[in-house]
Amino acid sequence: MSRNFILSLIVGFALLAAAPLYTANPYYIHMIGTIMIYAILLFGLDIVVGYTGQVSLGHAGWFGVGSYTAGVMFMKLGAPLWLIIPASVCITAGFGALLALPALRVTGPYLAMVTLAFGTIIQILINEMTFLTEGPLGIKVPKPDLFGAKLDEHGFYWLVLVLMGLSLVVVDRILRSQLGRAFEALRGSPVASDCMGVSVYRYKVYAFVISAGFAGLAGCLYAYSEQYISPNTYNFELTVLFLLAVIMGGRKTRSGALLGAAIIVILPKLLDDLEMFRQVSSTLAVLMLVGAIIGVSRKVTTVRSMAIPVVGTIALAAFSFWLQSITDWRLSIFGLMILFVVYYLQDGIVGFFRKLFSGKIARGVAYQAPSDAKDAIRVASNAHQSADGSDLIVAKGVLMQFGGLKALNDVDLVVKRGTIHGLIGPNGSGKSTMMNVLTGIYVPTAGKIEFSGNTLVGRTSSDIALSGIARTFQNVQLFGEMSALQNVQVGLHHTFDSNLFDVALNTPRYQREDGEAIERGMGLLHFVGLADLASEEARNLPYGKQRLLEIARALALDPQLLLLDEPAAGLTAPDIKELIAIIRKIRDHGITVILIEHHMDVVMTVSDSVSVLDFGQKIAEGKPAEVQANEKVIEAYLGAPAA
Amino acid sequence: MLSIKNLEAGYGKVQVLHGISMEVPKGKVVTLIGSNGAGKTTTMRAISGMISPSAGEISLNGTRTDGMESFTIAKLGLAHSPEGRRVFATMSVTDNLILGAFPRLTGSRPKGDVQGDLERAMDLFPRLKERRTQLAGTLSGGEQQMLAMARAVMLNPEIVLLDEPSMGLAPILVEEVFRIIADLKSRGVTMLLVEQFAAAALKVADYGYVLENGRISVHGPAAQLQDDPAVKAAYLGGGH
Amino acid sequence: MEILLQLVYSGIALGMIYAVIAFGYQLTFQTSDTLNFGQGDALMLGAMVGLTLVNHGVNYWLMLPLVIVFGMLQGAFVERIGVQPAIKIKSEFGWIMSTIALGIIFKNVAENVWGRDDLKFPSPLPEAPMNLLGANVLPMEILVVFGAIAMMLGVEFFNRKTIYGKAVVATFNDRDAAKLMGINTGLVITFSYALSSATAGFAGALIAPLTLTGATMGSVLGLKAFAVAIIGGLTSGLGIIVGGIILGIAETTTGFYISTGYKDVPGLVLLLMVLALKPAGLFGKTAIKKV
Repeated sequence: MSRNFILSLIVGFALLAAAPLYTANPYYIHMIGTIMIYAILLFGLDIVVGYTGQVSLGHAGWFGVGSYTAGVMFMKLGAPLWLIIPASVCITAGFGALLALPALRVTGPYLAMVTLAFGTIIQILINEMTFLTEGPLGIKVPKPDLFGAKLDEHGFYWLVLVLMGLSLVVVDRILRSQLGRAFEALRGSPVASDCMGVSVYRYKVYAFVISAGFAGLAGCLYAYSEQYISPNTYNFELTVLFLLAVIMGGRKTRSGALLGAAIIVILPKLLDDLEMFRQVSSTLAVLMLVGAIIGVSRKVTTVRSMAIPVVGTIALAAFSFWLQSITDWRLSIFGLMILFVVYYLQDGIVGFFRKLFSGKIARGVAYQAPSDAKDAIRVASNAHQSADGSDLIVAKGVLMQFGGLKALNDVDLVVKRGTIHGLIGPNGSGKSTMMNVLTGIYVPTAGKIEFSGNTLVGRTSSDIALSGIARTFQNVQLFGEMSALQNVQVGLHHTFDSNLFDVALNTPRYQREDGEAIERGMGLLHFVGLADLASEEARNLPYGKQRLLEIARALALDPQLLLLDEPAAGLTAPDIKELIAIIRKIRDHGITVILIEHHMDVVMTVSDSVSVLDFGQKIAEGKPAEVQANEKVIEAYLGAPAA
Repeated sequence: MLSIKNLEAGYGKVQVLHGISMEVPKGKVVTLIGSNGAGKTTTMRAISGMISPSAGEISLNGTRTDGMESFTIAKLGLAHSPEGRRVFATMSVTDNLILGAFPRLTGSRPKGDVQGDLERAMDLFPRLKERRTQLAGTLSGGEQQMLAMARAVMLNPEIVLLDEPSMGLAPILVEEVFRIIADLKSRGVTMLLVEQFAAAALKVADYGYVLENGRISVHGPAAQLQDDPAVKAAYLGGGH
Repeated sequence: MEILLQLVYSGIALGMIYAVIAFGYQLTFQTSDTLNFGQGDALMLGAMVGLTLVNHGVNYWLMLPLVIVFGMLQGAFVERIGVQPAIKIKSEFGWIMSTIALGIIFKNVAENVWGRDDLKFPSPLPEAPMNLLGANVLPMEILVVFGAIAMMLGVEFFNRKTIYGKAVVATFNDRDAAKLMGINTGLVITFSYALSSATAGFAGALIAPLTLTGATMGSVLGLKAFAVAIIGGLTSGLGIIVGGIILGIAETTTGFYISTGYKDVPGLVLLLMVLALKPAGLFGKTAIKKV
């Protein structure tokens, strides 16, 4: 953790802890307490929405499960606080798993609907299962006892503060660890994530379960804070409010979660006061108008893009003067705020200010290039057991059929260990299909494929990746918002044995693995010549460097076999020279390479052997020079000679 | 009729075309050949508006079209039979052809005799006539190529862009496709033909441009290019 | 037995409403890969606007086309404000959140304009039940079924017989190729949203006399209709009718035999099951990934 961060944490905590001493008014203590409780939930929600990029429309449901676990355990079992808190967390996390395991194979709007359905079901169950939950009557929950003494308003406040602090630290640790990188990778490129050994499905489930756990904790504390819970609190509107908080505060930041929580707690109270709302909205309209005029005259923005916000804020101000009461229109205000944030404030308030002041969103940390030129390439240990030249990949009779189209038609392919094998052919000949079959993205219709004696057919992409096959992609699939080093570190995910507890508690094992990952990651970047760009966001790198980064990331898997899909596409001549040198170095380390390329010069220079595909069938194979002169190959590329 | 000057285009960060210039005179068949990755399809897409060029000029009959939406360019009389055919799979052959005449039926281009043109298209492509009510998605690759070409012609266009018509087709069908192209040529249809198969393309075209790594490496009358070793080098390497 | 048959009839009518809403989801998803999370609220607005018109003396049958026109405007509005900007910046999160936000706003506006209580919608047909095959069925229920089928057939006719309809189907099939034909696919998307809201509003006006009409009537309907849309695979028209009827009957029977509080559960559970087991829907086709 950076020093600035720790410093601001300490100051923030001191201020919050001191708050009850400044104001005797329990109203404000309760309000700040609620903000902190919401913040706990939002830390977890941010993992799902901000990091994995999924929309969860059911978080009020988890919140409700947490509250009702506390309420029911108190009412039916008279359980003490130290039992109720972990129970709330675990039971809610359990419900999270119950949803996630079957339902999270889907994505995008489907996933949103699934979470919405689940949240609605939970609310119905809470309402209907009166034998357990008292239904609409609700449950009264007095302030808890701790160590025998009853916690008063202040005491409970400090308990919440401590728990919020712990949650913040734990979430922060999780997100900086290999788990956090895995979550971001899911959003950046699901297909690359799977092919780097990070199973998209599994980590989506983890993200949901963890966020459910935090929501459960928040729900439990909320029950004690409000001292009364009833089913209609945990509705869709609350979920929407949580989402608004995350996106308005700023995703991927803890301060954003806190700011968002503050906004959604304070705003309704603000909206109850019509006079204040009128003042605020008028000021906003004037600011917007002035800002737009300045922006347009300075050519920073156009009239067209500013038209809607300006007209919108003026209309809002006018509307507020026409109204008698604003409370009834709360939800519309929230809706408008969501629209505004989604289109104009995509990084949230915190993100907006960060961008303004530092130009970068990613927390840039400078990394030292390794002092010695020790290459970080390792090949999986069992690679050295068999001699060079033995068969690494044996594919027989591979058939890949899509409807009526045979993309691969009875293809045999043998690739010898320790060689560079080129795979060429005209457009549509089946090269990329072959690559996708080898990495588990497609399951072949027929045929067998063996890798070092083990079959590949029917295994998932992440499983195949972890057993020693790594790849790059024709259309670059980097994790754009992560730095170059972080991208490589996702490839190093398999080197971590640390689990959630190791990460949360910062155990020696985790610290060691984390350090090693940084060291190896830098070594791999050094190998491809990107060491000084380690903390650059991947999407800002020039195209040629992005392709090299993909190679570094793939090498992090310690593969026996590296599949390169058109690595030279779009590269300039000097970049291509560098690429050829790197490919040769990779082979010299004992890694076998299969290379798909259209760039004939590259393929012919660097390959030991070449296979040629046409219409899904292999039409030639042999040394590069032989293939180049082969009549059938010439015909396949250029067409039949003039008859 | 179609004039391209210093065209630069690409996808996101990747620049594929580094300033190419070409002319397609009225009534002529011009071909653009080159190996994969050279940028042929990118060129077609830039011309028909599927992607926006980053620099350069494209003019159709004197009107600048670079930067326009593809549906606007279509209304100006540019028909594009795209790479991969892209027929409307759940619609019948007849409906696909009718849609080719969409601008004529909705007032953006002179209407003419759509029904008559439909019948004439069927005569030109007998296989389509047999299958006029069949769903386009169930046609074979060769038949879909015929459909895509016929659909383009239904626009009554000023110029037809044919993007890799031979891709994925067996040699016999490739012959048929090129026979049809020759037939269209004899009717005076202006065409820009992008092909991977240099041999067949140069046989049917009047003029040829060879694209290599996003630049025109050599161009000239098609007959001359047929024997030019530079063409072979552009495909199979070894020329550097 | 007689009660069961009665529940079946009600279930079929309810199911057809789900089918019509699901139809709206399919329309926009096919042309633009997006859908309107506020679809249920579009239905509610149709019912409320219809109620206001009828209360002002407009004949029910005249009100229906007016509601359709209103729906088209509302749908076009949602598309322009909420969906088009998101498509432009290629943000899935964007259109999900903005259609949700618009739905919330519409619901809130409805609450303020028409109040929070449920209202009675006068039925244009006699309220006395008729006897069909031994059980009671309300004339209104029969109207709902016919109205829904008529509307879906109408759209089908439009798609097949008119050149503009064919342009819409072409956009479903291949957006880029449609543009090459001179079809303005942006307008097609706006139109599909307009049509989608119009059908939802129409469904709202149809079902309003049968149930309580209020600002909250749309929300859960929209969610359950999504289950129906998924069963149909977001591409098959027959699938949504079958799915809708299954769901409708499941709900009416649950509501009667178990408890009204639980009547929403079968639909939601169905949604979860379908998405867990066969996300492409019972009738749909799984897409092939391209890397």
